[in-house]
Amino acid sequence: MPSAVDINWYIALSGILFVIGALGVLLRRNAIILFMSIELMLNSANLLFVAFARHLGDLDGQVLVFFVITVAAAEVAVGLALIVAIFRTRKSINIDEINLLKG
Amino acid sequence: MNTFSLAPLILYLPLAGLLFNGLFGRGIVDRNRKSGERFVGWLATLMTFGAFVVSLTLLVSLATNGFEAWYVPIMDWINIPGANFQVGWTQQVDTLSVTMMLVVSGIGTLIHIYAIGYMHDDPDFSRFFTYLNLFVFFMLILVSASSYLMMFVGWEGVGLCSYLLIGFWFGRVDKNGAPANSNAARKAMVMNRIGDFGVLLAMFLLFWTFGTLDYTPIFDGAVEMYKANHVVQFGGMSLSLPTVLTAVTALLLLGAAGKSAQIPLYTWLPDAMAGPTPVSALIHAATMVTAGVYLLVRSNVLYEVVRDSGALILGLISTPDLVAWTGALTAFFAGLIAFSQNDIKKVLAYSTVSQLGFMVAAAGMGAYVAAMFHLITHAFFKALLFLGSGSVIHGMEHGHHEIAHGHGDDGDGHDGHDAHHEDDGFDPQDMRYMGGLRNRMRVTYITYMIGALALAGIFPLSGFWSKDEILLHAQTHEMPIFILLALAALGTAFYVGRQLIMVFFGKPRHAAAEHAAESPALMTRPLIVLAVLTALGGLLNAPYLTKAMAERNEMHPRGFWFLLEQWGEHSIPAIHLTEEGVVHMPHTPVVLSPVVAGLSMLLAVGGLLLAWLVYRGRPRTWDEADRLARTPIWWWNILPLNTFYSRGLVPLFNRFAAWSAFKLDGEFWHDFIHDRVIRDMFVTFAAFSSNVLDAQGVDGVVNGAGAVTRRLAGALRLTQTGYARTYALAVFLGAVGLLVYFLFMAN
Repeated sequence: MPSAVDINWYIALSGILFVIGALGVLLRRNAIILFMSIELMLNSANLLFVAFARHLGDLDGQVLVFFVITVAAAEVAVGLALIVAIFRTRKSINIDEINLLKG
Repeated sequence: MNTFSLAPLILYLPLAGLLFNGLFGRGIVDRNRKSGERFVGWLATLMTFGAFVVSLTLLVSLATNGFEAWYVPIMDWINIPGANFQVGWTQQVDTLSVTMMLVVSGIGTLIHIYAIGYMHDDPDFSRFFTYLNLFVFFMLILVSASSYLMMFVGWEGVGLCSYLLIGFWFGRVDKNGAPANSNAARKAMVMNRIGDFGVLLAMFLLFWTFGTLDYTPIFDGAVEMYKANHVVQFGGMSLSLPTVLTAVTALLLLGAAGKSAQIPLYTWLPDAMAGPTPVSALIHAATMVTAGVYLLVRSNVLYEVVRDSGALILGLISTPDLVAWTGALTAFFAGLIAFSQNDIKKVLAYSTVSQLGFMVAAAGMGAYVAAMFHLITHAFFKALLFLGSGSVIHGMEHGHHEIAHGHGDDGDGHDGHDAHHEDDGFDPQDMRYMGGLRNRMRVTYITYMIGALALAGIFPLSGFWSKDEILLHAQTHEMPIFILLALAALGTAFYVGRQLIMVFFGKPRHAAAEHAAESPALMTRPLIVLAVLTALGGLLNAPYLTKAMAERNEMHPRGFWFLLEQWGEHSIPAIHLTEEGVVHMPHTPVVLSPVVAGLSMLLAVGGLLLAWLVYRGRPRTWDEADRLARTPIWWWNILPLNTFYSRGLVPLFNRFAAWSAFKLDGEFWHDFIHDRVIRDMFVTFAAFSSNVLDAQGVDGVVNGAGAVTRRLAGALRLTQTGYARTYALAVFLGAVGLLVYFLFMAN
């Protein structure tokens, strides 16, 4: 078995990436950055899937990752289209200014 | 199939009449006044007459079937198996109910015919006959019912008809602009409600005790349970059967007092005279007001059980005695009040109250057959008197019309007519404007005379026999009641004499009386028929002349089944309760008592004579004060005793009568109890309901619910910031929360 990296390192890396992504979603205002953060979180999950798939010798994790990537791609396509549309109307992609639903 | 199955027809015929007249009557009358009136009026009459014919066949059926009660089911009504509660529309055909059916439909037919003439040209002609048929329908439900509940349907129905017909001319206003007729109707409704409330409570108690509302099981059950010393459980309370029945019978008395206008609920009946005269005759003299007496007679077993047990109300008086005293006091006081009335119909109204008192007193003393006998003869002669008074009023109105318009000159007299009407305050019902009508209205005079003498109790007219029977029973059973009733009989003769003299004798006191004319044949013919019935009605239950004769005839009781005493025996059993149980006693035949009959005759003649002495030729003019309203000075010269009479008794008595009429009856009962206590209480309660319960209670809850929702929404909307990050944070924290929960707490 050529792998020498312990599964715990993968978990730690994935956790760090997820936290960075989550903080990005919560703290940043630029919608593009927000998307990137979401991608980061998705990919941290992907990393974990792959790591465990390998660790357990089970292909299900690998398959799931393909699904996640597909969904993420679709999401980005829709999301970017939305952002472009919003930018065209409001000349800004600061999500704090997009608060029409305020109660 | 036997003829009993015809019984439902007595309900279907009037129902058909009222539906037809109610739906099409107005159109028919409007299209052609003359023939339309004839069609609508005779249709209603025919339906009532049909019911009478069916009642006659029922009478024959009973006579040929051994007089046993027959039950004719029409349909199911209420059936609650869980509570074992079953009430059906079932008619009970027995001698008592058939007697009532005959009275209601027979007198009803005559009054329908009379009303065709009386209501001629009334704009609401068809409505009147619709109501009359509705009344006959409900009254026949009442008397043919086989259960208290079905009886109550009729009871409420006739109350409704009474309301509708008293207020028939609901638009009329009195001198002060008050809607007198509709007020009178409402008063009748309210006073009857009080009585109905008693009947309802009595029914609840009966159902609780016996588990049924049908007459026969209740009466059989009451006797069985009484023999077995049954104890009735009310939740935690256990009461003996006589105690429960005391409550039931007292409540039924309340109901009877409402319907039959007894103390303390009689006040509505005199006001009810606001209705058209045929209504006064049919509903408020002959039939509906006797429903209370019928209820007492029908419930005779319950009263006899209470009488036998000796159960007392608050240890004072037993309910049968209470019934007797209520009747006797009403008979006496209502008779007194009649002295001070000048309205021809009001005199008759108080007289009806007084005569109903006789019947109630008889029922209270256990003389149920005598009560029914008086009920029947009273229906004859009082219907006759009311119809006669209607004829008199009709004649007076005609006379007034005549003088106002001149003879046949209708062209320009109309304004003058109205002004004239305003000026002298002429009232066609006021006896002070009448006088001397015996020459103007022959038929009315003769028939009225027969009715009035029967009411006074003159031999051999029907009123003599029936009143005598009640007096005889009172004399042998309850002396104090006898004295009260004898005084009432004297009073009856007196006010009857006063009325006869004021209306028919002397000289006319007003031009209208001089020009009065006899009423049309449609009105006078029913008067003649009723006069014949009044004259001969005593034969229905004529007493045996001697004891020996009674004993001889009792050997063949079948031969005398038509005598009310033997006819009634089959539905009013003469039960006698002894230590061992119930014994059905053979009926004691009524034997003429020369002493009582002589005394009652003496009272009648004395009363009439007294009236003649006091009122002969009086009042001379219509505005002269009543003879009894001041001291009759001419009396003292005859005998020193008369000084005592005129100075002491007359003013005292007069003041008492006036006090009874104006203070006790008018101010106390009518104004104080009815207006102040009952009405104001209701108004206060209504104001409380509207201002406090509704405005503050109900509205408060509704508005409060709104305000709470608003405030909650105000707090909740703060969470909707519109910042995507806030929502993201919420989702994030939620996810973390769920994770923490599943990781650490779920197990």
